Amino acid sequence: MTSTASHCPYCALQCAMTLGAPDDAARAVGAPVAVTGRQLPTNRGGLCQKGWTSAQVLRAPDRLTTPLLRGQDGELHPATWDEALDLVAGRLLGLQAEHGPGSVAVFGGGGLTNEKAYALGKFARVVLRTPFIDYNGRFCMASAAAGANRAFGVDRGLPFPLADLGGAQAVLLLGSNLAETMPPSSAHLARARAEGGLLVVDPRHSATAALADDDKGMHLQAVPGTDLVVLLALLHVVWAEGLADTSYLDERTTGADDVRRSVAAWWPERAEAVCGVPASDLRHAARLLAAASPLHGGAGAYILTGRGAEQSTQGTATVTAAINLALALGLPGRPGSGYGAITGQGNGQGGREHGQKSDQLPGYRRIDDPAARAHVAGVWGVDPDDLPGPGVPAVELLRRLGTPQGPRALLVHGCNLVVSAPDADAVRRRLAALDLLVVCDVVPSETALLADVVLPVTQWAEEEGTMTSLEGRVLRRRRALAPPAGVRSELEILHDLAQRLGVTRGFPTDPAVVFDELARASAGGPADYSGLSHARLDAVEAAGQDPADQDDATRGGLFWPVPARPAGQPAHPGTPRLFTRTFPTSDGRARMVAVDHHGPHDDLRPDAPVYLITGRVLQHYQSGAQTRRVPALAAAQPEPYAEIHPLLADRLGVADGEMVEITSARATALAVAHVTPSARPDAVFMPFHWSGVGSANRLTSDATDPVSGMPDFKVCAVDVRAATPGPASPRVPHRSERDEREVVRR
Amino acid sequence: MTRVVVVGNGMVGSRFVEDLLGQPGTDRFEVTVLGAEEYEPYNRVLLSEVVAGAVDVASLTLPRTDLPGVSVRPGTVATTIDRVARTVTGADGSRTPYDVLVLATGARARVPEITGLTGDAPTGSAALPAGVHALRTLDDAREIVAATVNARRAVVLGAGVLGLEAACGLARRGLHVTVVHGGEHLMDRQLDGAGAGAVVHGLQRLGIDHVTGAVTDEVLLADGRLRGLRLRGAHGEVELATDLLVLTAGTLPETGLAVRAGLEVRRGIVVGADGATADPAVHAIGDCAEPPEGSTGLIAQGWDQARRLASRLATVGAPAPTATAPTRQAPPDAPHGTDVVRLKAHGLEVVTMGVRGDATDADGARVVRLSDPSVGRHVELVVADGVLVGATCVGAGALAADLTTAYARRTPVPADPGQLLLRPVRGAAAAAGPEPSPTLMPDRTTVCRCNGVTKGDLVACWRHGARSVEAVTRETRATTGCGGCTEAVCGIVDWLRRTDPPAAVPGTGGDAALPVAAATPPATALDGSSQPAPALPGGRR
Repeated sequence: MTSTASHCPYCALQCAMTLGAPDDAARAVGAPVAVTGRQLPTNRGGLCQKGWTSAQVLRAPDRLTTPLLRGQDGELHPATWDEALDLVAGRLLGLQAEHGPGSVAVFGGGGLTNEKAYALGKFARVVLRTPFIDYNGRFCMASAAAGANRAFGVDRGLPFPLADLGGAQAVLLLGSNLAETMPPSSAHLARARAEGGLLVVDPRHSATAALADDDKGMHLQAVPGTDLVVLLALLHVVWAEGLADTSYLDERTTGADDVRRSVAAWWPERAEAVCGVPASDLRHAARLLAAASPLHGGAGAYILTGRGAEQSTQGTATVTAAINLALALGLPGRPGSGYGAITGQGNGQGGREHGQKSDQLPGYRRIDDPAARAHVAGVWGVDPDDLPGPGVPAVELLRRLGTPQGPRALLVHGCNLVVSAPDADAVRRRLAALDLLVVCDVVPSETALLADVVLPVTQWAEEEGTMTSLEGRVLRRRRALAPPAGVRSELEILHDLAQRLGVTRGFPTDPAVVFDELARASAGGPADYSGLSHARLDAVEAAGQDPADQDDATRGGLFWPVPARPAGQPAHPGTPRLFTRTFPTSDGRARMVAVDHHGPHDDLRPDAPVYLITGRVLQHYQSGAQTRRVPALAAAQPEPYAEIHPLLADRLGVADGEMVEITSARATALAVAHVTPSARPDAVFMPFHWSGVGSANRLTSDATDPVSGMPDFKVCAVDVRAATPGPASPRVPHRSERDEREVVRR
Repeated sequence: MTRVVVVGNGMVGSRFVEDLLGQPGTDRFEVTVLGAEEYEPYNRVLLSEVVAGAVDVASLTLPRTDLPGVSVRPGTVATTIDRVARTVTGADGSRTPYDVLVLATGARARVPEITGLTGDAPTGSAALPAGVHALRTLDDAREIVAATVNARRAVVLGAGVLGLEAACGLARRGLHVTVVHGGEHLMDRQLDGAGAGAVVHGLQRLGIDHVTGAVTDEVLLADGRLRGLRLRGAHGEVELATDLLVLTAGTLPETGLAVRAGLEVRRGIVVGADGATADPAVHAIGDCAEPPEGSTGLIAQGWDQARRLASRLATVGAPAPTATAPTRQAPPDAPHGTDVVRLKAHGLEVVTMGVRGDATDADGARVVRLSDPSVGRHVELVVADGVLVGATCVGAGALAADLTTAYARRTPVPADPGQLLLRPVRGAAAAAGPEPSPTLMPDRTTVCRCNGVTKGDLVACWRHGARSVEAVTRETRATTGCGGCTEAVCGIVDWLRRTDPPAAVPGTGGDAALPVAAATPPATALDGSSQPAPALPGGRR
């Protein structure tokens, strides 16, 4: 086995790794390949524990290797591929004949390769002809996307290479725990920390907030759901104290006057009463940022948002305020400064560009734009009028499933909905109301176990394709080993289903061929990949191994847009840094939009006097379907827990390691109390990686942002109490006992 | 169309218009705003910051009200209301018909009746002697700022919130400031004696003098210009020379229009909880209004009234919502948390909210106090039914922010509320010493978070023969994530090398060494930390 250069299967950092022949350590844990870190400017050879152990998911003991059909007995039974595909095609045809094209819906994922995401969107529009396709990126990047598109005219999470952060004097992080969710990225904060310029806004003293300890910066421990207020106050100070970059605002933006007026009402003392961050800290933070900005002679400042700020009914407004602050300080498009959103899922960036969003066509085009429809229909060889119009965003789509007017069949790809969607019990009920649920997965995830048909698919190291990282760098995922017998790629499945549904052309199974079509479809769109191919990406990556006279931050990759050039001209070099001269809006200026704070949808009330906030832990990825199957990760984080401040724990009479009941308007969950001063006394934190009684998303609210459709995962109101002992509360060992076990096992 | 006329284009009137148009389906409203001032609405709360020179005046400008569907008439003073014909007449002779009238006329500075001052000044300082200024309007603030250029000494008359803010602001500009207050102690509307004592300490630190319990008998003038004040206090009569006098002796609601219209007026225009006067077509919000719970003079109350009135008007007669999505949980209608008083003063921290300990009559209320006026600190909490119902913080730092959010949101307070007051000094946790040495670090301490490597893992790895940072890193993957633990891992490897040198192990390898190892078994301290044991020789893995 030769070694293969590829990337980690998990988050959007897409750490470069080499997959080689299994060594002793790999064999000891049953991994079919050995993983080692590989140099890329983003991860600099580093990997976190998830990456190091990722090969074990390839040989998960319960890996799916045969299609499963639900039988008359209600159980899933093995079936042949022909049986399964015939059944799916037959049922889809029947439902659509009786109830129309909209009776079938598709739910995609931000972990799918660009090729799969593209093929899935095309399949929905061309084969199923349904408007109802959306994806779990709606739970992830929708607010950042809506905010950036509105302000900048384009949405590339980081419009600059990640490694550019390394030169910054100050970095403001809102709602991002990147020290846990993408650990190697935190190395790029070293300079800002050395300058005392790391500003972390988070209701928890998270691992990332701790990076600001010891005068490395500031932790602004805001009340859950008030990131927007922090930003409005910072904006207020910037204008009140004459720190704004007025010539930048005059030359490169519109709307600054409205924004300045809107923040006149958010003086720091007022903001303090809402967000809980002392007024003096707000002033200090604003001055630190301003001092780092180019206008004031600083070395550069970045403002970055993550899900903590975005997964909110005011997520788009919060992103908008972050962008407004960046613009007021003259950061976007300036060397060494800027605004960015830290994309979460592995292909969370590419996944939102190629047409699996309800309102979108490939190349980040809008499906309601006649020119976009004509272009894409041309590439697809169909009549533009035959393309469906916009569907509905994910949460609304889920609400409609199995209702009298709603879709009756759902195809799920790369998503474990019943763990990762908000108000998960309601989602479970909607799935149960369907006539047909088809799930493509690598393992029997909680969602797959509810399906009528389960189709086993390939995973990362078994397939070719591309992923677009958090910085818009298009990366090659490469095949290191053959998939288990009986497993097929989703490209094959879509091809086979299309055939059975009467579309015999247009669904190639070779990822390189699919990519070439994707590139053509994207030509001229905001996310233009037309100058790319697998072959070109391979060549650039190979050249990037030689670091001679290349810009370090961009080495070894191509950043979209990369438009095709006519034959004979040198290939487009890609666009590592956007906005250097202009913004891709109609007048070339960034749009500033005034926004205001309204608070969470599900706010505190006497019978729910504590906030619940949700998030991730280092060892698990999203719904945990992969990471919970890796013994070392499962051992390190074995069960659902709730972080509770000692003051709250004392009031509740709960000791560390005891079970607590957490009740929202939707459900009650059980979790082990982790008593820690890192929480706020008015908020408990639960990671959302588990299903069952401890599933955090059974509690969360499915209220959505009016602009982006993003649900309010991050804040809801709950009651917390000591769990009443009973059969429903399995005894969980005290934490110190777990630690002992841990030591012994090691 | 519903014709809505708003009298007053200040902070509350303009916010009401913004709130009303922010409601869905409000294109049925035709809004006219009559504003007495020529200016666009601005943030009056920050005028003391203008005096202090801490903010740019341009940053005070509030959002436009001249939006589509709104006609704004600045500089138009409303003179009479005809409640039968439902029209408002302006000083310019204009008559504006209304279906809904909203009075947001605000308040004016109260000019105390003192010899030398010419009584009630309707619009700020116009009728005051040179050198004497109220602080209510942008013009007032600008004039005070201009006056500071040639003034060395200033007197602030009235030590309420605005008075102390103004005093600190003037001191920040380098003036010698004396605060003169008629009451027994500073901020007596909010603070008890101990709290005021803590404020005194703060003023002293800023070099600001104060006189309390003083009656101002006369404002002394020379050639029509201020030269000082004559006071009568505990120590008899004194004359206080000054170049500048700022009047911060409270406000009076602007009720003249309402009185002329025959509406009930006590201190302010009497309204119900819904903001309506006895005439259901006429409402009053903000400082001019007197709601059942009384007017606090705080902007939060006025904005809360504006929001509720806007949402009520938008709901009345509006088509029923058709959305299938859940609607926002309505905020509780009773205003709560709008009575937080927060001093914006440079060098003085005062925050008060809710009831005061000596004024509470709630059954079973607990009052917890930490009072040390001699260092400028006074904190008091009042807890009833498990929630914070009042707090006073003077010189309490970040604690005030926590208490404010707990008060406004009614979040649970600790079983022992006293715990809220006990904050370790910054860095106290580390006072036990610097970073724990590897010797004292418990085995289960995570050293490398990215790869979940504990100190115990590193020690075990060493014992199994890894003898360098590189080898330990290769085996455990510590440092291979973000690299943030590199220093710690190097330190532990150093410690192992120092305390556990291979040379200390006699024997040449193989199991021959085992008896030695058995003779000095790995020690585990009571705290769970391990002492390095003699290594197994030969790098056995």
